[in-house]
Amino acid sequence: MRISEFLSTTGVKLGVTLTDQNQAIDELIALHQSVGNLNDPAAFKAAILAREAKGSTAIGMGIAVPHGKSSAVKKAGLVAITCPAGVDYHSMDGMPTNLLFMIAAPEGAADTHLEVLSKLMTMLMDQSFCQKLVKASTPGEFLSIIDQKEAEKDAENEAKNNTSQRKSFKFLGVTACPTGIAHTYMAAEGLEKAAAESGISIKVETDGSGGVKNALTSAEIAEADCIILACDRNVEMARFDGKKVLNASTANAIHNPQELIQKALNGNIPVYHHTGGNTMKEDTNTSVGHTIYKHLMSGVSHMLPFVIGGGILVALAFLVDTICGYGATGGGNFGNCTPLASFLKNVGGTIMGLMVPVLAGYIAYSIADRPGLAVGFAGGLLAANGNALVTNFSVWGGSVDDSGAWSGLSQSLGGFSKFVANFGFANPNSGNTVSGFLGGIAAGFLAGYVVLLLQKLCSGMPKSMDGVKPMLIYPVVGIFIVGVIMCFILNPLIGLVNTGLSAMLTALSTAGMLALMGLILGAMMAIDMGGPINKAAYVFGTGALAQAAAMVAKGTPNSNPAVQACYIAMASIMVGGMVPPLGIALACKFFPKKFTEAERSTVVTNVVMACSFITEGAIPFAAADPLHVIPCTLVGAGVAGFLSALFKCTLMAPHGGIFVFATVGNPLMYIVSWLIGSAVTCFMLGMIKKDVDKM
Amino acid sequence: MVSKTVKVTNEQGMHMRPASVMSQTVTPFTSSVKVIFNGNTYDAKSVMMLMSACIKCGAEIEIQCDGPDENDALKAAVDLVESGLGD
Repeated sequence: MRISEFLSTTGVKLGVTLTDQNQAIDELIALHQSVGNLNDPAAFKAAILAREAKGSTAIGMGIAVPHGKSSAVKKAGLVAITCPAGVDYHSMDGMPTNLLFMIAAPEGAADTHLEVLSKLMTMLMDQSFCQKLVKASTPGEFLSIIDQKEAEKDAENEAKNNTSQRKSFKFLGVTACPTGIAHTYMAAEGLEKAAAESGISIKVETDGSGGVKNALTSAEIAEADCIILACDRNVEMARFDGKKVLNASTANAIHNPQELIQKALNGNIPVYHHTGGNTMKEDTNTSVGHTIYKHLMSGVSHMLPFVIGGGILVALAFLVDTICGYGATGGGNFGNCTPLASFLKNVGGTIMGLMVPVLAGYIAYSIADRPGLAVGFAGGLLAANGNALVTNFSVWGGSVDDSGAWSGLSQSLGGFSKFVANFGFANPNSGNTVSGFLGGIAAGFLAGYVVLLLQKLCSGMPKSMDGVKPMLIYPVVGIFIVGVIMCFILNPLIGLVNTGLSAMLTALSTAGMLALMGLILGAMMAIDMGGPINKAAYVFGTGALAQAAAMVAKGTPNSNPAVQACYIAMASIMVGGMVPPLGIALACKFFPKKFTEAERSTVVTNVVMACSFITEGAIPFAAADPLHVIPCTLVGAGVAGFLSALFKCTLMAPHGGIFVFATVGNPLMYIVSWLIGSAVTCFMLGMIKKDVDKM
Repeated sequence: MVSKTVKVTNEQGMHMRPASVMSQTVTPFTSSVKVIFNGNTYDAKSVMMLMSACIKCGAEIEIQCDGPDENDALKAAVDLVESGLGD
């Protein structure tokens, strides 16, 4: 379609003086009449006026395009008037109008009128073009200006269409979700299908739990027109520096892949510039909460296998000892009584020891990319082991007593050395400095942001130093900073918490408030699961067992209330520790919507761990969503501990779960307490925790 | 940035009046409002841009808003298109 098909020299009148809108309309209709476009000028005018009544057709910038679709129109046509002095055509911008086009469309003329309008507008947007038209001195000149412009526009459009047809787009995709089991692959499939529908070649890399499949090569990245990231966690970004990167979530790729492909086709995608961190720009959801969730999930998903592998081996150790007949007599050595059990328990225990470092390491990795990994591991290791890793200083070494005074030192400590010795080294006064998984989360975030900060500080360094940064500066300076903060700030604080809690428990026990003590002990087991609170409770329990053993050795009968109190405390502790994994396993069954597929697949593992008193099974859940999960485990375990103490259940073994139930006094009510506590946790999770897809 | 794809259902497409209604509806928002159609992006605050897009009945357009009140802007624009652009 060309404008000239509709507009002829007879339909153009230049340099007209118009007094008002009505006169302008009359002039334009007269032109249509003279060209022979109309059956009934009066009826057509009525249509035009009806249209103007709904809103002015003067679109501003001195242009008005009145138009009417009516049976009074014989054939579609266009006429034009210029009015250099301007006329008040009730324009939207209040300015006088000096260029008027009138479109006449017959009834049922499909989209002709829209096409003419659209084409006209494309040209009229060019202001110099409009001015040329107003200044045109003859209708012939007026038309040739339009012709010329139209030819220009058509050539432009054609060129555009050609390039988009000729050029075969090459897209790349990367999909990744926190657990890497289902969404990663569903998203990849969605992108591949949508691309095939649009006839575009795409290669999608899947970063799932089975490792990276279909990895993108650097040559492919160099050739790609656009890279579509459908990721809910961070992926290796440095390789995409300088490429157009479209950020989306796996949900986008699963539900609206076509939209992503279209966006990528539009080419209106910002070029990604790698700035060092692994953080993605223009995330679909950049809220602080979501960012934290993403980093946490990176840590949790890497930690999960350690918990499961280590936990099950430890459970097997208990099983072996039970089979060998040490269930009732193993006591503190239960799980270490026979060579095979001891082997399993040591391997499992060592692997579980990696849990917190891995959690911290991969949180830091998610924040700061590879340089964050080592620093995060270091922070996690210090959180998992406390300041016990800081062993004594050998040459000057002495020992420290309960009051914190050093003796036997070969040098007198002064100033800074004294500060370091008194504050950093695990002395009896500072309590247990293990901060467990909550400390590990803190360490991971700390490490990640320390490395990001270092990267920022080092960004001014010359390019020749680039190789030195990840190999020297980040690890050395990063680990030093994190080490100082962990050993001198976080861990001593944790020690204080521990000392305070122990004092409170001792006070409760001596006051004889056994049920309350049971409640608190149970709850404490399920807050940080291996951190200071849990440790304080557990150490109190084993301490109570030792105390009971000492009393019995001195001739106090086992039935003495003081001895019984010790056993009751231990029973509450173990039942409290057995609640979280079982409660979560139940919740996975009853409220599947609240958990990811990976989480749901741990049901059996968690039941086994619950039965073995391996509270750590709950850690991946608590770490992924601490604010919603911990209250549930806390209350459930507290209820179980309370009931167990209320029913005066006793336990003489420090560990072992159901394998040592033979040693439990009042075992039936003990099991009832455990099940009630777990049910409480399960139902609270169902109430409190959000659905996975809403996170 | 938020966006949504909607179908233009009014019989005559994005002709002048719908375009001006659209532009008047979205201009008060601080956010930028764009219409993406046929691979091109048009400023929805400009009547001329909208008309030049030649969006016909049945066309699927993507409305994309970016700015502090993007959600409200998107809702207003989407509601307008879905209600037939005032036709």
